[in-house]
Amino acid sequence: MSVPRARLLDLVKAQCQLFSTTFNPEGVRTGNKILRQRLRGPALAAYYPRKMVTIRDLQAEFAPLGLWTEDEKGDDRLDYIAARKARGKGTPKKKSTPPGNKNKK
Amino acid sequence: MSMFRSKKFDLGCFANIKVIRDHSKRKAFEAAEPERQALRYIIRNTTLPQRTRAVAQLQLTQMHCYTRPTQIRNRCIMGGKGRGVLRDFKMTRFNFRMQAVLGNIPGVKKASW
Repeated sequence: MSVPRARLLDLVKAQCQLFSTTFNPEGVRTGNKILRQRLRGPALAAYYPRKMVTIRDLQAEFAPLGLWTEDEKGDDRLDYIAARKARGKGTPKKKSTPPGNKNKK
Repeated sequence: MSMFRSKKFDLGCFANIKVIRDHSKRKAFEAAEPERQALRYIIRNTTLPQRTRAVAQLQLTQMHCYTRPTQIRNRCIMGGKGRGVLRDFKMTRFNFRMQAVLGNIPGVKKASW
């Protein structure tokens, strides 16, 4: 003895009402799968470590108290650039005109 | 694409142009993700009229390529390399080995038996 399909569908409908799920007997694609997905953006954007406190921040914070932090790495870098410039190996000057219009001066 | 780059440099790891680019892509994707998912929902929903779905398809394909998740690639935070990056440590295999041998990675130890 088999149960008619209509009766089974009624049962499923009642079930859906009870448990507040969507009644979709034909299995139509409604795209709800997309809505159920979690957003991956925040996790992906947090991949690279962000810039935290720098020595310059420390200097700015403690300057009113009369304290000074030496930025050894930064000073070394500035010394290196100054030495290169003295040897004539520094970076070239920025052009005053944009690269597009060369013929104008 | 410089319009996606942050005005103030905000990376605390090794940075070259490839890392900066990847970082801006990640942020662009994060900003555009709700819109992308909404369009994806419209496209996948077969109960909506065909025209709406086609328009949504067109809109999704016309979004900037930086907002696409497939543009994102995990790069090494120590050297910016794009290949051989161990996902768990965000480092290339060689950088991982160096740091592990130096003992900078908690819980990682060279095997010996």
